[in-house]
Order: sequence, then structure tokens, then C-alpha cells
Amino acid sequence: MELKKFRKKSPWILHYNTGSCNGCDIEILACLAPKYDLERFGILNRGNPKQSDILLVTGPVTKRAKERLLRLYFEMPEPKVVVAVGACACTGGVFRHMYNVENGVDSIIPVDVYVPGCAARPESIIDGVVKALEILEKKKKEIELPPYCKVPEGEKLNRRKLLERCLEVINAGRRS
Amino acid sequence: MNWEALVFTLFSPVIGGFIYGLERVVRARMQGRVGPPVLQPFYDFLKLMDKRSIVIHSFHAFMGIMYLVGTWFSLYVLLSGGDLLIAIFFHVLSLAFLVVGGFSVRSPYSILGAMRELLHMVAYEPLYVLTAAGLYLVTGTFQISEILNSNEVPLFVLPLVFVSILLSLPTLLKKSPFDIAEAHQEIIGGPEIEYSGKFYEAVYTAKWIEYVYVFFLIFLFGGGNHLLGAFLVLFAFFFFNLLDNVTARVNFRQMVAFHWYVLIPLVVINLMLLALWRG
Amino acid sequence: MEKVIYSLFLLPWLLALLVFVSPFHRLRQLITFLSFPILTYLSFKVWNLKLPLFITPPEWVNLAVTLFDYGLLLYFLYQGIKFRNFLVSVLAAAQLFLLSWVLLIIPHGETPPIYVDGLTTFMYFIVATVGSLICIYATKYMEQEDLDRENRFVAALLWFLGVMNFAVSVNNVEWFFALFETTTLASYVLIRFRWDSVSISNALQALWMNQIGGIAILLALLFGIKYYSVYSFTDILKVNPAVTSMIPLGFLAIAALVKGAQMPFHRWLLGAMVAPTPVSAILHSATMVKIAPYLILRLSPVIKGTLLAKLLIVTTGFVFVSAGLLALTQDNFKKILAYSTISLLGLMMLTASMGSPTAVLASLLLILFHAVVKALLFMEAGVIEKLFKAKYIEEIRRLVEKAPITVVFISIGFMSMTIVPYGIFMAKWLTLEEASNFLSHGAYVGSIIFIATGSVILTLLYFKVIGVMTRKRGEFMRFKLEKLPFIYLSTAGLLALFTIVGSIFIAHLSADFVNAVVASISSSPAPVKASGLTLITPLSEVYGWQIIGAFILLLIVPIFAYFVHFPEVDRVYEYTCGERVETTLGTYNFFCVSQVEPLIETAAVALFIITLVLGGGLI
Ligand code: SF4
Repeated sequence: MELKKFRKKSPWILHYNTGSCNGCDIEILACLAPKYDLERFGILNRGNPKQSDILLVTGPVTKRAKERLLRLYFEMPEPKVVVAVGACACTGGVFRHMYNVENGVDSIIPVDVYVPGCAARPESIIDGVVKALEILEKKKKEIELPPYCKVPEGEKLNRRKLLERCLEVINAGRRS
Repeated sequence: MNWEALVFTLFSPVIGGFIYGLERVVRARMQGRVGPPVLQPFYDFLKLMDKRSIVIHSFHAFMGIMYLVGTWFSLYVLLSGGDLLIAIFFHVLSLAFLVVGGFSVRSPYSILGAMRELLHMVAYEPLYVLTAAGLYLVTGTFQISEILNSNEVPLFVLPLVFVSILLSLPTLLKKSPFDIAEAHQEIIGGPEIEYSGKFYEAVYTAKWIEYVYVFFLIFLFGGGNHLLGAFLVLFAFFFFNLLDNVTARVNFRQMVAFHWYVLIPLVVINLMLLALWRG
Repeated sequence: MEKVIYSLFLLPWLLALLVFVSPFHRLRQLITFLSFPILTYLSFKVWNLKLPLFITPPEWVNLAVTLFDYGLLLYFLYQGIKFRNFLVSVLAAAQLFLLSWVLLIIPHGETPPIYVDGLTTFMYFIVATVGSLICIYATKYMEQEDLDRENRFVAALLWFLGVMNFAVSVNNVEWFFALFETTTLASYVLIRFRWDSVSISNALQALWMNQIGGIAILLALLFGIKYYSVYSFTDILKVNPAVTSMIPLGFLAIAALVKGAQMPFHRWLLGAMVAPTPVSAILHSATMVKIAPYLILRLSPVIKGTLLAKLLIVTTGFVFVSAGLLALTQDNFKKILAYSTISLLGLMMLTASMGSPTAVLASLLLILFHAVVKALLFMEAGVIEKLFKAKYIEEIRRLVEKAPITVVFISIGFMSMTIVPYGIFMAKWLTLEEASNFLSHGAYVGSIIFIATGSVILTLLYFKVIGVMTRKRGEFMRFKLEKLPFIYLSTAGLLALFTIVGSIFIAHLSADFVNAVVASISSSPAPVKASGLTLITPLSEVYGWQIIGAFILLLIVPIFAYFVHFPEVDRVYEYTCGERVETTLGTYNFFCVSQVEPLIETAAVALFIITLVLGGGLI
């Protein structure tokens, strides 16, 4: 479809902090400020999952944040991409293997682009977002599911049921 | 049937989209940024077409569409040259859809936003009614088509009215300092928060149409002098962008108080003095 | 001819008697139902008579009215003593004294005491249709409340209709006083109907407040006889206010303000809600409070343009706004309706005191549509109370899931008071355009501000309530229509239908029907014309397509909401920042307004006194 072209022309951002030290968050905001001016690419920070295309996640995903992260992810309409910003979000960073964190965003939701750095520099964040846009253009409109959340064949579940199912899995700690 | 008005109404989303695109560029330049391309709103529009739709419930989604239809219709009522007061009240009708839609979901932000939307109405509505009375005083008619053909220029005799309309533009368009119904940092868009995909698109487009609606009201102040009217529209455009950039949000009491205790008296002084002068 | 008029007074009384004595519920329902066609038919007959009509009843009636007066006042005095209410007894005693004085000095006039003109017939129509529909509704309502006392209740309502018919057709102010006090009695009896302590104290409050109106009428009568020795409405209309004293007119206007529950005398109407809901319906819509705008309309040709009229505009306009503001702070559904009645009564009197033909037309349209809509709303309030056990806004939350039909009716009622194509809006529009002609007069500029502000506040109020009702849970899928008893459905449906049809044909309604009434009040009809559905005024026009378009927009909503479900589309939860929280969502309570309530009331008292003192020419 021709319409796909426009996906990368107007990506709207949802920024979620899963327990970061705020270093990466400040860099993300710096991207939106005059010096780097992400709005050049039509990027807006909507702060609203229902109208966003890109989920920028910072932080190592604390135990309390994981459920919220999943809910926000499910509230975003497809096609959507997830960008993990900062070392924490990629792997857990300095917090890795602590008792209260989940070691990175990809343990909860599928991640498309990893932006390294502690804190990630605005340039690399922009680079990551632009990479994400390329991925966004190729995405399909089917509901995306985290890998640990399998739906048996032939079972038709609506979006809400799927969310419940996934929440059950992460809360039970039965992740492969 | 007024064909000119009909065509203009049909194309109003395009015009409104351009105005919005320009606004984003102007605002970016005022902040020392480059800003998005002028066509950005249309890119947004086309992207939203491509999204998977999600809704809270059907009634809510449907009210978003009704808001678009209602606004469109109220713009046609305005442009077709009928009664100015009726056109103003039709605008209330279209907002009612947004408000009822906002109220119909159990979302705190949406409900707060809808309530604030009503408070916006409380603030600016009396002002616009008085303005209509003022335009009648000057041009001797409530019919918009005749106001646009009259020999009088309302701006020259109603300067205070124009100033107060200018200052209440942000209330109508929900821009800072009177953007309390939308308040992105606070209630994340208010009544429009729960819309997404195609349904948000309807709300988004309706807002462009509102731009046309509002700037046409400004245009009326030029009266028969259409060049002046166009200049006023341009001026108002830059003025409210400037205002949007340099002010912070006030709370709803301050907003209503500002409209009721500052702007309405200004208008009344202007109207009464003029009426007394003309005997 | 006279027989038709007499039967309009006496038939409701006869029916009331029949209802009172008949032993079976079905029979009572049947008799009550008869009142609707009979009264409507009689009103039509009067409409087709050659108006205006003067009738002189036999001499003994005059004596009977006087005796009735004394009996009534003595009864009030007795009630005051029985319930140890100082105000009631003192006011009753004062009225007894003033009445005797009036009877001493009253001259013998030749003017017939009964006068039937367009305005009277207009009121007959409202009483016949809206009033009897409420009575029919009441039979069902009482069946669910207390079947044993149904006969008394419905009989009282029917009797009230007759009284109201009588009250709007008298010419003699002394008779008018008698009927004014009879409506007071009726409201007293009806409010007290449940016989608990709250009901009794509210009924006594209504009694003493309304007696102040009675005193005002008696004073008007005294001064009228003293200054220009007339005591009939038609004679008062002939005096020239420029050369004579305004005092009688001022007192009559005060009586209207009291009867119309204008602030500061608004408490009694609020108190009336303790009675069964049909009482509120009948007090607020067809009868009782409508005497207030009726009285001002009667006087409007004389007071037009005087200081009194201008002060009335300011006072009632102020009430229009502030009653709306105070309604925002309420959380009881019936109280909200009561406040909005007070507010709209203010608007009716405002337009009536403007007095120009267009304004009078607006006032009549307001009276008509307000009667219909308020009856509808109170009926629905009763339905909510009886079937869904809800009284407060908190309790009607998410009503649309349980009772979509009721919600649609309530929404029609609410919207018709503010939103664009409905009759009440049209009346406001006419008034605004009329007032724009007099921008050099403070009162008229004030009226524009009041109307604009007041109507937008009412919009805020109604949408606040609609918002609470239409809220739905996310899990909600499709509407199930509730089962309403046939009587509830049909009476409310008729009223809603009238609101919509009347608003669509507003042009013809006002140009052909109501304008004839306008012509009988002020000397000339209002300069409005109808062509098709388009209403044409000298300044401007409302096109038929605008009205139809707005109605289509509004009617699409319930229809689509019922049929369209987007079954294929994904559903998500509301955005709550990713948290799973159980939210309890209320609505704004406008505490900031309740803080200034004393100030508002003080201002209302001040305006009231100013109207009396300056407008009545007491200085
Ligand atoms: S990556 Fe570094 S700067 Fe970013 S959130 Fe983690 S610790 Fe903070």
C-alpha cells in the first residue's frame, strides 16, 4: 500500500521510564529541544499510547514497572516499534542481576532497536529512532505478542484477553 | 444552495491543515528550531489512516466521528452567509459531541478534559454573542453575507471588541495560556485522549476545521474591506502563535475570570459608548 | 360560549370528585385519562371563539368568592396556629386585615370579572395537554407508591388544573387574589402530601412565602383603587403609566416574582421536591409558577419601557444566571431541575418585561416549551426514582447501560433547553436579536450578557448531568432497551415528540399560532414570518435546512449508538498510565460557587428591593 510511505513521515512517540536513573530521559528530552529538534522529522511526543507509533523505553524494567510496560505496549495500535534507550534498557546495565530488575526491556516486550550508551547520546537516540522508522515501514498490522506469550492454534482471543494472558505469564514468572 | 460556501466548506480541512502546518513551522521558528515541513499535518493524517484501529467502546468512537461531522456542518452554517448568532450556537452543538464522547468513557483524563471543555465554552460563549450584537450595531444586520458586503469596517469602531476576541482566540483553539482542556502535559489531550487510529483522525481533522471557523470570525471584522480582513487574519495568526509561545497555562478559574471580568466589560464599554454616540 | 369557559373550570373539579369517590384503580385511571381529550377539545373550542371574551357571572359568585377568600385565609391562620408557625399565621392575619380594607373601599365597577383572550387560551392549552398528561402519569406513579391514597392525590392534581384554568381567566384583581391564594393552598396540600416532618415544614415554607405574594397583590389592589380606582386587569392596561403612579404595578410585579420563585424567594420551590414527583412536575410545568410570567405578560403593555420593566429585566436576568450557577453545586437530580426551573422562569419574565412583540413571542415560546420539557424531565425523574432507585447524580452514574430509553428522554429534555434547533433556543435567539436593537440601554446590554452567560451555564449544567449518565464501562457491548410501564412510556414519549416536532415546525408554530396570542397581548403581532420551515424575522432568518440538519445530527446519535458496534475492531482499556486501578469517577461539584452563595443571595435581595422601591416608585 502507498500509505506505508507516510508511516515514517510522522512517527509519534511515547516515552516510558521503567525505573531509569533519569539520565537517558533527559537526553530524550534534549532531542526534542531546539538543539537537536526531532520535530524536523514530524516527531511529536504525544505521551499517549493510543496515538503513538514509537515506544521509547528507558531503564532496566523494575519488577513493579513490568506490568505497566506491558499494558502500555498493548494499548499502542499496530504498526509500532519499540526502541530501548540506554544500557539499562538494553541489558539491565549497571543494575543487571539485581533482585528488583528484569534485565532489560526485551524480557518483557519485543524490542526492535537497541540504543547503547550510559547515558545514550542524543545523536545516537536520533540514529536509533531513524533506524526504527525503517523497521516501522516494513511492519505488519497484526497484533504483536511478546515471545513468551504463546496463543494455542485455533484459539481466537481479543486484545484484552491477550493482555490478560500475557500478564498472567509474567506475573507467574513462567518465562522461557 | 450556496455553491461557493459548499465548495469552500468541503475544502476547509485542506485549508485548516495548511494553517496548522504553518502554525507548527512558525512556532518552531519562534523557538529557534527548524520545525516540520508545512505538509506535516497531512502526513499525520495519512499515517493515521494506516493504523490498526482500537476503541474503548463503539459509542465513544462514534462520537469522535460525529464531532467531525458536526464541526463541518457548523462551518457550512457559518460560511453559507446565514445568521451569525445561529452559526455561533451551532459551534456549541458540535462541541457537545466531543464533550459527550469525552464523558462516555470511564477514563479520568477524558472526563476531566470534557468538563474543562465545557468551562472553555462558559468562558468564551458570552463574548461571542456580544460580538455578534456589536457587529449588528455597526452593520445593521446579523446576516453574515451582508456583513461582508457592508460599507462599514467594524474594526475601526469596535477596536476593544477586536482586542478581546483576539485575546480569547487561545480559548477557542485551546492554545496556551488557555489550553486547559487539552493540557498535554497534564491531562494528555483531555477529551481526545482515548481516540486512536481512524477515530482520532476524525477529531484531528475537526480541529483543523475549527481553525477555519475561528479565522473566518476574525475575517468578519474587516467588514466590506476584504483586504483588511485578510490582513487581520494574518495578524491574528501571528499574534496567537506568539501568545502560545510566551505564556504558561493558567487554571480554569483564572481563565473564566479573565473572560468574564476583563474581556466582557471591555466589549460592553465599547458597545455602549458606540450605541450612545450613535444615539 | 360561557358554558365552554365554565366547563373548563368546573369539569376538572367534577373529574376530581369522581376520581376521589371511585373505588377501583382502573376506573380512576380511566376518568383521569378522560381529562386529556376533554380539556384539549374545550380549549380548541375556546380558541375558535371570537376573542377577547368578557363574561359577567351572576352576582352571587362575587359574594361566594369573597366568602371563599375569608375561609381560605382563616384556614391558613388555623394551619399557622396548629403547626406553631409564626410567619404563616402573621401573614394570614395581615391578609385578612388588608382584604377587609379592600372590601371596604372597593368601588362598584362595571368591568366584567372574567376575561378570556389569546393568552388565556394559550394557558388553557398548556394546562389541558401537559397538565392532564401529568395527572395520567400520576395514576401510575401512585400505584407504585401508595395505592390507598391515590384517589386523594390524583383528585388534588385534577382540581388544581381547574383552579389554574380559572386563575388565568379572571379579570378582577380581587378574584385573582382569591385564585392566587387557592394555588398556594393547592401547593401547600400537595407538598405536605407525605405527612412527614420534612414535608410539613417545607409545605409551611411554601405557604408563608406565597402569602407574601398575596400581600403584594392586596397592596396593589389597595393602591390601584386609591390612585386610579380600577381593580381589573383590562382597566389597568388603559391607564397611562407616564402620568400615574407605578405603585400598583410594582406590587403586582413583586407578586409575580414571589410566585415565580425568583431569588430570594426560591426556597419554597426547592422544598417542593419532597412531595411525590408528579407534584413537582405539575408545579414546575403547567401550573403554579407559570402564573408568574402570565402576570408579567398581562402587565407588559403598560410597564414596557418604564423603569420598572428595566429593573425587572436586571433582576430576573440576575436570577437566570445565578440560579443556574447554584444548580451546578447540587447533586440531587430533582433539585437540579428545580433550580433550572427558577432560572428559566427568570428568563421568561425577562422577555415578558421587555414587552415588545418579538420579546413577548419569545416569552410565550419559552412558557410553552418549558412546560412540556419540564414535565418530561420530572416524569423521568420519577421513573428513575421508582424504577432505578436513584435520586442523586452519584446514583445515576452509568444509567445508560441499564436504561437507554430513559437516558434518551432526559437528554432530549436537557438539550432542548440549550442546544441549537430546539424551541427554547429559538426563543433565546429572538430575544438576543431584539435586545441588540437597544444597545444604548444598560438593561438591554445587561439582558444580552445575562442570556448569553445564563444559557452557557445551563449548558454546562446539563452536559455535566448527561455526562454522568452516559458514562459506560469499557466492557459494555450493546444496549438492551429497558421495559417501562406503558403509561410512563407514552406520556413521556408524547411530550418528547411534541418537543421535537414543535421545534422542527417552529416557524409555523410561532408565526401562525403563537403570534395570534402575541397580537392579543401587545397591540400588534411580532414581525415574524414563516416560509416552509424557515423562520424569517426582520433582521435575519433561521433556515429550515439548518433546523433539519441539526436534528439529523442529534437524532443520528441514539440510532447509531444502538445499531453500530464496530465488532471487528480491537478493544482496549482506558488509559490509566498503565496502572490497574479501580477508579470511582465523580464529577465537578463546583465548590467555588457554593462559597459565594451568600453573596449571590444578598445581591438578589438587593435587586429585589431596588425593583420594588425604584420600579414601584416608592421614592
Ligand atoms: S543507561 Fe545509564 S543513564 Fe541511562 S538510565 Fe541506565 S544508568 Fe541511567
